[in-house]
Amino acid sequence: MKKATSTSTGRVRALLERFSPTWGRYQPLSRRSVLRGLLGGGVVSIGLPPLELFFNTSGTAYACGGAIPKRFGLYYWGNGNLPDNWTPTGEGEDWQLSEQLAGLEPVKDVVTVVSGMMVKIPNIEPHWSGTTGLLCGSEPLLDDPKEPRGPTIDQVIAWELGAATLYRSLQTAPHDCDGVSWNGPYSRNPPEADPYAFYERIFGGTFREPGEEGSVDPTWGLRRSALDAVMDDISALKLQLGAADAARLDQHLTGVREIEQRLATLEEDPPNLESCSKPPELTEDFGDVDGRPLIPERNKAMCDMIAMALACDQTRVFGHYLTDPVDDTLFEGTTGGHHDLTHNEPQPQDEVNDITKQIVGHFATLVDSLRSIPELDGTLLDNCAVLGCSEVSEARTHRLDEMPLLIAGNACGALKSGIHYRSVSQENASKVMLTLIRAMDITAGSYGEDDAYTEEGLSAIET
Amino acid sequence: MRSITPTLLAALLLAPACRDASEPGEEAAFEEPAWRTANPPAVASPAPVLKRLTQSQYKNALVALFGEALVLPTSLEPDQSVDGLLVVGASVTSVSPRGVEQFEEAALDVAEQVTTDPTLRAALIPCAPDGAFDDDCAREVLGALAPRAWRRPLTARELDRLVDLAGVAGATMDDFYVGLSFAVDALLQSPHFLYRIELGEDDPDRPGHRRYSDWEMASRLSFFLWNTLPDAELIAAAEAGELTDDAALAAQVDRMLTDPRVREGVRNFFTELYELYDLDRLSKDPEIFLYMSDEIGPSAKEETLLNIEQVVFEEEGDWRDLMTSERTFIDRTLAAVYNIQAPTAEGFGEVWLDPGDGRRGLLGQVSLLALNAHATSTSVTRRGQFVRETLLCQEIPSPPANVDTSIPEADATAPTMRDRVASHLEDPSCASCHVLTDPIGLGLENYDGLGLWRDTENSVTIDASGDLDGIEFDDAWGLAGALREHPALVPCLVENLYRYANASAFDEGELALVEWHTDGFEVEGHRMLALLRDVAVGPGFRRVGNAPVFGGEVQQ
Repeated sequence: MKKATSTSTGRVRALLERFSPTWGRYQPLSRRSVLRGLLGGGVVSIGLPPLELFFNTSGTAYACGGAIPKRFGLYYWGNGNLPDNWTPTGEGEDWQLSEQLAGLEPVKDVVTVVSGMMVKIPNIEPHWSGTTGLLCGSEPLLDDPKEPRGPTIDQVIAWELGAATLYRSLQTAPHDCDGVSWNGPYSRNPPEADPYAFYERIFGGTFREPGEEGSVDPTWGLRRSALDAVMDDISALKLQLGAADAARLDQHLTGVREIEQRLATLEEDPPNLESCSKPPELTEDFGDVDGRPLIPERNKAMCDMIAMALACDQTRVFGHYLTDPVDDTLFEGTTGGHHDLTHNEPQPQDEVNDITKQIVGHFATLVDSLRSIPELDGTLLDNCAVLGCSEVSEARTHRLDEMPLLIAGNACGALKSGIHYRSVSQENASKVMLTLIRAMDITAGSYGEDDAYTEEGLSAIET
Repeated sequence: MRSITPTLLAALLLAPACRDASEPGEEAAFEEPAWRTANPPAVASPAPVLKRLTQSQYKNALVALFGEALVLPTSLEPDQSVDGLLVVGASVTSVSPRGVEQFEEAALDVAEQVTTDPTLRAALIPCAPDGAFDDDCAREVLGALAPRAWRRPLTARELDRLVDLAGVAGATMDDFYVGLSFAVDALLQSPHFLYRIELGEDDPDRPGHRRYSDWEMASRLSFFLWNTLPDAELIAAAEAGELTDDAALAAQVDRMLTDPRVREGVRNFFTELYELYDLDRLSKDPEIFLYMSDEIGPSAKEETLLNIEQVVFEEEGDWRDLMTSERTFIDRTLAAVYNIQAPTAEGFGEVWLDPGDGRRGLLGQVSLLALNAHATSTSVTRRGQFVRETLLCQEIPSPPANVDTSIPEADATAPTMRDRVASHLEDPSCASCHVLTDPIGLGLENYDGLGLWRDTENSVTIDASGDLDGIEFDDAWGLAGALREHPALVPCLVENLYRYANASAFDEGELALVEWHTDGFEVEGHRMLALLRDVAVGPGFRRVGNAPVFGGEVQQ
């Protein structure tokens, strides 16, 4: 499984050749065609209204009738759940938490549970069919199943929401993870796992709180001059390369432009966001204990920083990866790696059950962090939609029915909050994804390919 | 499963489109080592591929440019293994926005160090600047630095731009050194530094075909053999046009193979191939593995690399001896695991394993035993998979997704792993793959999940006997011997090295050339240095297909 067959490269390069992610604020008019290419030859079409419909003159998105933008979050964990212990009883607004969801008690009123949905992509590659089947609505690459064919949902949304902020998206994890955010095949967005490094990146150095004035550091202009030279080099080099390599350099070029844009923004006054303030510096020692990462402590620190990064409009899209697909992390109080246990712990798999409960608790921590920041008349969470999900339901047999799906926040009233929706007909999980994309005010015609294709959202969770 | 057979070869040699197809018989004369009895087969050369520097190449390049005193950046875009090698991943993946940001942070940090630290500054800047902007001094520094960093001469316009950047920045900041740092910042972020751009040129000896240019060859040779930038001598050879000349190229390769830097190249190849980098973050439950510590992974990695250096450089021996060596190199950490007296108080020392103890060879080392196991137990499947996929280049399909792959818990009726995995080997739907992996892993069951020797499991004597594709063995000692003689072992190493040298996924059209190198390797007694030389001067390393026509939109 590790080695792709040799012929994969040719096919991958053909895919890359279709994949030219030059998008965003610099070429707004080209986005439509580029997205079409990215999303699999037009199977998913995203209608793009003119930019000015999205943004007012100061570049902030309209939403909730004011200047508060909508945000999207992905909370991901590997190895699924145990469906029998997961599914809540009762439906609609009258429902009771299940054993595995007990950790949601403090946030039950702001979390919607969707159960009974199914990933409709053929279940060929254990874990990876589910990963890309849910997050991209398509199969993984045939010859390298740990790679998707297109972007993951967080990046589909980031291409729309990301242009207005310093960072298109932020990716984090409470311990070493690869993450599951892709711009396309062989183009992953790796998460930051070090809380101190994440703090420094977002709140160190050049961070300014509301009320501070824009300043001009002469070195910023010089950095931009250096970046200009780099961009010229890349643009000239691209002309000498085949399309696949040119597309790879395009990605690089986009990254350089984003740095330059950030430097330019520093010279402006920071936006007047009343909930934004610089969080206190970290002081904890986050070292491993007994060969196990200190996930609760690290997760809490990361979630608080993510929330404040959103409140300060550093980004409007984040991905937070508790663990990866097939992850073998040693969780607190367990006798084996998580993935190992899902296959080899005898029934009823008490340890797997306990790990899932820990994971749900860490999701509640994230929800709580988002809810603890006031925004307008409500909280930051009210302006978010955060999807909690995994690549399978029962990992022992890699089930793709009964997918665990949690949604926190109502995206400024676009989504129902605090309900349980139970599908009795194994509906297409893509419907949930399409609903989430539309909840971000993105005009999307469809989501997914082949049997995972849908033009309908999940209306039961829409308002 | 992939195996190199003549029938398959014939089928695969039907060249796919978009490649530079050679006609047999039109080969230009190629100077062969004396032992060669046959000319290389005509194969179609794959199109050029853009390669990003891997993390280790990037760091080694910075050291080569600025010196050992440089504090290296630690936060960089992660490398990704594709087809089992990081260099292949770096020829396929794109850099994330975060990765680009990290490259900028690293470039700024390095640029500041080399213009402020007295030692580094003295090494970089030979001239005394006259004021805050001194174009002559900047030109002297950048004119020497940039061609080394970019592995090619700069055009006048390229150099002017860097000098101008230093001048503007120097004037703005009223400091020559700060000004220069922004030019260094720019050249370290340039794609000409971060990527290996090897597009080829028309080959005057073979009209209609392409070869790598002298400068491209300098870069290819140094990254392949040294995992770093070309040195001054290699650059001089490129300038003199010697690296497209058979004899002069061979002389340079011979020089490079006697340079100490070739050890870094060989170490890096095996670190990538055996995924030894994962030993830096080994995860084992310390309550089960009492010898588990933060030191054990890095120590185990060094043990394996020292064994490789021994057979490749000290002995210049048969590479297959790595599989059966009774000598190893351990420190105090590993001595405890192996239950033998530490040979030295500090660092690593040589020890000879006692044949009566049963441990020998690569598969007896903590590195691969611990890596290819679970956090709390052994894994007969993973260990077998490592042997099949990495050592024998045989592909093991993924298990079907919809089946329960669990094995029964140990109990009185099934006390050992052999008893427990019996179901994998009896159920036909499992057995078709597990019969390839598990018997090998069962041969290693005397090593626990960390690599400690054990005679029993749950008080029952472990039966580690089996057979490897027809060669029977009684235990791990015997398995090592069977592996050494396996017909796929040597071709697989050659294929992996060939892919590593070219830093791109293997193109099956090149199989004939790999077989030709395999023949040469056998004639040369499986000496790695001979193989490295053979590949470096071979046609697969020097020839390139036509670049595909640019197909992207020109963005403005």
